[in-house]
Amino acid sequence: MSKVILNNLNKIFEIKAGTDVKAVNNFNLNLEEGEILALLGSSGCGKTTTLRMIAGFETITSGEIKISGKLVNDLKPAERNVAMAFEGYALYPPLTVRDNIAFSLMKEKISKNEVDSKVKEVSELLEITDILERYPPSISGGQQQRVSLARALVRDSDALLLDEPMSQLEPQLRAVLRARVKDYIQHNNKTVIFVTHDQTEAVALADKIAVMEEGDLKQLASPYDISSKPSNVFVASFIGEPPMNILKAKVLKTETHLTFEILNDKDEKNFSIKYSNNELNKENLNKIANEQIITLGIRPHKINFNKETTNLEGKAESSTYHWLGDQVHIGIEIGGSSIISVADRNFQPSSDIKMHFPSESINAFNRDSEEVIFNGI
Amino acid sequence: MKFNIWSILKIFAYAAIILFFLFPIAWILNMSFMTNDEILRKVPVLFYEPTLKNYIGIWEGEISIPGFATMYIYFKQNLINSAILSSFSVALTLVLGVPAAYAFARYKFKGGEDIAFTLLSFRFAPALLIIIPLNLYFTQIGLYDSYIALIWVYQLITLPLLLWIVRGYFEDISPDIEYAYRLDGHSWFQSFWKISIPLAKPGIAAASLLCFIYAWNNFVFALILGSSAIQPVTVGALAFITASAIPYGLIACGIVVSVLPTLILALFIQKYLVQGLSLGAIKG
Amino acid sequence: MSYIKLESISKSFKDDKVIQGLNAEINKGEFFVIFGPSGSGKTVLLRLLSGILLPDSGEIKMENAVINDLHPEERDVSMAFQNFALYPHMKAYENIASPLKANNISQDEIDSKVKEIANLLKIDHVLNQYPKELSNGQKQRTSLARSLVNRPSVVLLDDPLRNVDAKIRFEMRLELPKVLKEFNTTVIYISQDYREAMALADRIAVLYDGKFNDIDLPKNIYEKPSSLTTAKLFGDPTINNFNAVISKNENRVIAECNGEKIILQRKTSIENGECIVGIRPEDINLSNQQTEESLKVEFRTKTPLNLRIVFLVKLSNGLELLCSMSEEEAKNIKEKEQLYVSFKEDKCLFFDAITKRNLE
Repeated sequence: MSKVILNNLNKIFEIKAGTDVKAVNNFNLNLEEGEILALLGSSGCGKTTTLRMIAGFETITSGEIKISGKLVNDLKPAERNVAMAFEGYALYPPLTVRDNIAFSLMKEKISKNEVDSKVKEVSELLEITDILERYPPSISGGQQQRVSLARALVRDSDALLLDEPMSQLEPQLRAVLRARVKDYIQHNNKTVIFVTHDQTEAVALADKIAVMEEGDLKQLASPYDISSKPSNVFVASFIGEPPMNILKAKVLKTETHLTFEILNDKDEKNFSIKYSNNELNKENLNKIANEQIITLGIRPHKINFNKETTNLEGKAESSTYHWLGDQVHIGIEIGGSSIISVADRNFQPSSDIKMHFPSESINAFNRDSEEVIFNGI
Repeated sequence: MKFNIWSILKIFAYAAIILFFLFPIAWILNMSFMTNDEILRKVPVLFYEPTLKNYIGIWEGEISIPGFATMYIYFKQNLINSAILSSFSVALTLVLGVPAAYAFARYKFKGGEDIAFTLLSFRFAPALLIIIPLNLYFTQIGLYDSYIALIWVYQLITLPLLLWIVRGYFEDISPDIEYAYRLDGHSWFQSFWKISIPLAKPGIAAASLLCFIYAWNNFVFALILGSSAIQPVTVGALAFITASAIPYGLIACGIVVSVLPTLILALFIQKYLVQGLSLGAIKG
Repeated sequence: MSYIKLESISKSFKDDKVIQGLNAEINKGEFFVIFGPSGSGKTVLLRLLSGILLPDSGEIKMENAVINDLHPEERDVSMAFQNFALYPHMKAYENIASPLKANNISQDEIDSKVKEIANLLKIDHVLNQYPKELSNGQKQRTSLARSLVNRPSVVLLDDPLRNVDAKIRFEMRLELPKVLKEFNTTVIYISQDYREAMALADRIAVLYDGKFNDIDLPKNIYEKPSSLTTAKLFGDPTINNFNAVISKNENRVIAECNGEKIILQRKTSIENGECIVGIRPEDINLSNQQTEESLKVEFRTKTPLNLRIVFLVKLSNGLELLCSMSEEEAKNIKEKEQLYVSFKEDKCLFFDAITKRNLE
């Protein structure tokens, strides 16, 4: 069942008479029960405004918001049955951590034992059992954020709204808490929308990611699809650490082969990538014309070093080699282009690097509209 | 529909506000072009023949009003006095106040806050409290009836004002920017002169203008501490009121003329003024 | 030969001992990264080196001369700030030219030097713009250009890539070392991103609570950290660690933890007894096949992280372990079926249970 539906949601701020700023532009969303959605973007992209509209703290200019099948456009925040964790934590300073977490449970008329067990469960999950009797001002920022998260998680609500829920967490705890929170949300079948600027967090937690830029929804898809099937250049270069290699390419088609000539700023050829037509998808092949200039993208970890052959023409040299413990990042100079690649931690580039760009990892984008032509050919 | 009613109400509200604030000014301006007879008429006239007699009188230093003897006025000298007093006061305040404001903003020294507050408290104290002792002192040390005495005393008004506004500006400049400049190889003084001062310029400009206005409008100090030779327009306007007559047209004209310099100055640096006041208000 | 030498430097603010007796030697031309979590005193240390702050005790030496009391402008160091600290009332060109102007250099020479560095850092097209008209990436490059234009013998970089987006950060990670090598400058670089530190550094100094925990090559710090604290700071996900009692028989090292016997590896130099065992997520084998040394685990969740997949699994004694692997490896794992973990040979770290020092 759809839990949260947004229909053509718009938010326009009037800065001065006549100069409108579209903070959120025709946002459509259909979130199923039990799904986790990340609103991802850099500051000012409209993600927090969207969340605040769903929560009811921000009026909507036009459009519809439905929660559990009910239109909530004109309902007050308290009437929408949503729980929210704020970026600024908004803990009640005169209450202990335990009472802060239990506060929202009080009005739900459940037994004291049940409240206690719920608080215990969620505080074990977030490792705050040892500070339950302390007061918010006496605990660190990271702990305050965990309390705020606990308070939101413990509540029984139709939707859980989280604003930057993990931005201040201690880096050493982040990975394990992310995993536990995701586990908890899935086991309790909660519907969650959270805002983040951190793509690592979005990818790690969410079932669906909505990438936003300047009020526009750039793509709404699963983390896997966002990463492997970006629908435009913005998403391609925004997602991924390191981000996708973006190159300017000229398409050359013959009866038997497809060649991408990689061009520099002055339209001179840097190197080329060659495929035999019979390994390619015919339908995608027909989407690009001979001599067409496209934007070509390939993810750093999709570049293959293990093949004996290379499908690149051009002399490749590794310029930087960064060993990062669990992986290596290699900067490669090829015919004047710089490419970054990610390889296994044991990989050592030889002086003569043989790179293979797998055809299924080649993303092509229209040069002008920057929209995708195909993801993998 | 709702929108239209609101916008009409808005226009009415604006009109009322404008009328309230601008009417006295417009009326004064109006009066300055009238003769005394026209002003004193029981039913005020709206249409009359404007005359420049008042302005000419002020310029030439004498005016003959029908029915009275010829009046001699020193208003031109008063204007010059005002200009001298205000400009030099502001100049002195800048020299003393800007470095002091910087010191208060950047360096936390013992008693710093107390000194800053004491300076501000000069603005709270009524001038009458100190005017008699000051008068005695100045007479003793021979400064009575001199520009220097008044410029000195005016610092009580202008210095705290500038100090508190400009201090807020200096506090807003990231110290890193100054450090960066010093790491480039410039001395402390160069960084003050080339980085801090230019960046605080809007605040300094706004504060200077305010100081100028306050100095220009001062009345009490100038009344007590100087003779007519150095008195500014605020005091000079008193001379119009004589036993035999109150020439309203002339007074109105005097007001218009004395307001003009500050008005022109304000328009000239209006951009800085708005920025400066709003920022100073938040910081102060 | 050491070029910069820190000898028991200390700095306190009131009762807050921010820097506590630091010793280090930095070589000429070295890329030296000071890494530490926020609040560890990194920025204060950099300010001591630049002369913005003065140390309470200890000596800072450059080429064997004590420079403790020199003003910033008298030291041959330059600095790029985390917040860029560009002069807002000057154009990019004048910002970059500022260090040259301090040295009475002819206008022609200033011009050629500014253009050269701008060209190198690809900002030659924005030299006529004011800082507020520049994008974040351009501001960052302008601030770098300003710190390098005069070819200082030491450049201090205060987390310069913190405030720029991922794309520019990675570009700069590749570009920066090249530019700096060309200038043959000694670089002291602050970072709180361990990957950035490892990518850029010749050597890393780990600053924690005002003290250097480790000063070593990136690989050594990652593989042989001196303490659990350092081990936890390097690696994402963080290193797994648990208290256990170690016992050895002829060809096995066994850790007993909450009633469960875990076979770690074949040999170790440490004594039998209580300690903390650390194992990195990428050093755990997760599979559906049971082996002699493996343990049954319950699957909790899997999350993608940094192009890899992280599994959260739970041992029957309640211990949680994070395991990470590449996307290809993860495809072979069927999480609905029974899972087993085993530890890769010779990858365990052993720390003292109380002092948290590395026992090996």
